[in-house]
Amino acid sequence: MLTPEQLDEVYTRACHTMTELGETLGEKQTELFLARLALLLMKEVGDPARIQHAITTAREGMQQQP
Amino acid sequence: MQYYEYFDYRRHPLQRPPLEGGVEGKRHAVAICGAGPIGLALALGLARHGIAAVVIEADDTVTYGSRASCISRRSQEILDQLGCVDTILQKALPWTAGTSYYRDTPVYRLQMPMDENQKFYPMVNLEQCYFDQFVLDAIEKKYADLVDIRWQTKLTGFSRDAHGARLQLDTAEGPYQLDCDWLIACDGARSAVRSQMGLRFSGSRYEGTYIIVDVHLKSSYPTERRAWFNPPSNPASTILMHRQPDDIWRVDYQLRDGEDPIEAQKPENVLPRVRAHLEWIGERDDWEPVLISAYKANCLTLDQYNHGRVLFAGDAAHLVPIFGVRGMNSGIDDTHNLAWKLAYVIQGHAQASLLDTYSDERVHAARENIRHASKSTEFMAPPSHAFYLMREAALSLSTRDPFFSTLSNPRQTSAISYEQSRLTQACEAASGFGPPPGAVLPECPIERDGLPAHLTELPGTRFTLIALSDSAPDIAAHPLLAVHWVSPTRNARASAWDVTGRLFPMYGASAQAPAYYLVRPDGHVLARFAAVDSARIHAALQAALQ
Repeated sequence: MLTPEQLDEVYTRACHTMTELGETLGEKQTELFLARLALLLMKEVGDPARIQHAITTAREGMQQQP
Repeated sequence: MQYYEYFDYRRHPLQRPPLEGGVEGKRHAVAICGAGPIGLALALGLARHGIAAVVIEADDTVTYGSRASCISRRSQEILDQLGCVDTILQKALPWTAGTSYYRDTPVYRLQMPMDENQKFYPMVNLEQCYFDQFVLDAIEKKYADLVDIRWQTKLTGFSRDAHGARLQLDTAEGPYQLDCDWLIACDGARSAVRSQMGLRFSGSRYEGTYIIVDVHLKSSYPTERRAWFNPPSNPASTILMHRQPDDIWRVDYQLRDGEDPIEAQKPENVLPRVRAHLEWIGERDDWEPVLISAYKANCLTLDQYNHGRVLFAGDAAHLVPIFGVRGMNSGIDDTHNLAWKLAYVIQGHAQASLLDTYSDERVHAARENIRHASKSTEFMAPPSHAFYLMREAALSLSTRDPFFSTLSNPRQTSAISYEQSRLTQACEAASGFGPPPGAVLPECPIERDGLPAHLTELPGTRFTLIALSDSAPDIAAHPLLAVHWVSPTRNARASAWDVTGRLFPMYGASAQAPAYYLVRPDGHVLARFAAVDSARIHAALQAALQ
């Protein structure tokens, strides 16, 4: 489990990477980045049940944006 | 724009000194430009060392408008040493906690460090006009003979040489000049001293504009920090709310992309948003606006704060975003670092190079403050779509999984350590406990002369040796040293004793293994020893002052 500091560090790195990507290749590309990141993390997790659970959790509570 | 006045501003008359050919006859050791919180705190700090200062202020009263409102624990300790914390705490509102909401769901509970060892709350809220006035009151009460405030006097320019500066001042009754050995710029974000010297900030500016609205509202809600991300009252907005004395509530929110900052400050644009929010959180009482202003977040600092006989402190030296309340608090820390060093240099106890350490330590502090405040700002006001998207993900997941909640931590200010400073010396530690050299003293109750007291009260205008030992340290007298023997058990010969039994373990000391902390006048540890004698302590002082 990540510590709060470690979570903050990787979260911030992702934000900066996506910002740089958005500025150089356009904001649309950040979606592709996130999809690629999701696939890479699926490989790292290596456990189908945990990945299925994460997909379910990620979908829950999402609603039409105002 | 001001709508309502809760503070009785005392107006101060213009006072011009006797002149000789347009120049004030008397030369001043120190001239401070700016009678805001930093200029006043510095004048008070210098006066405590017996150093006189003239303070130049264009206005006729203390700072006006919506400014700093949170005073940190470290600032309270400093104000305690300056002898004015009691009046501040009589008025200020203490707090320890806060809540962040995503839409209408709480996602993070802020709990600032608070335990039975503390003398002060982690934070108190007070409008800056009160703060300035209370520091001014302390100056007038104790040091009227040392601090000469020139209200309604504007700095229009200055020339400088190796020995000081000649200031050009303008008043309603005509200009005059004033000579000083040291000029300290405490003249705020738009520092005239800084711009005349052509010095530039380095760092970054954030795009977003925030509207700060103080409202007068009677509410029973406790003093806490509340932050709402995307609240139903103002979708796609972030709102912060803080209670201040006199039933004043500070509300701030970020403008949406593309909103015109001038238009957005107009009451017809501000008040409906505030009304919607207050109604949504259940505030039913009537309220009225007090003041509306706009703000942009900056992460900027000068690379150096000492330039010959001119020194910079507070917003004149650095600007940090408001999130985490490091603005005025870091300026107060600047003055506490500078006051003893400048006093020692003027009094001939130290060489002028001691002031290099003021710059080194406080530039380091500014960069640390900027690092933390940038993180807070990036979360509060995402600087790109990517930051916004990630924040939405973090907040929406936080409603069901507290693992992600820590990303909403507002990172409130905390004391900064000077471990890398040239001043910081030896660390002889038998255990891993106790503050390392460079750090401030962790708080702990003690009993002193039969009365309850706290450890942070021990440092005075001299260096202080705090001996945590079961026998008295034998140190020869030194004009810049005070020795406090704190014994593990009640002992009539000791200055104080560890009445709770928590101090010795906290500081890595025991009856068998004493610990000796040599502490600077600003409360930072200079060195730590396992054993002391006069030669070692005097050598440590000499090394610090050369």
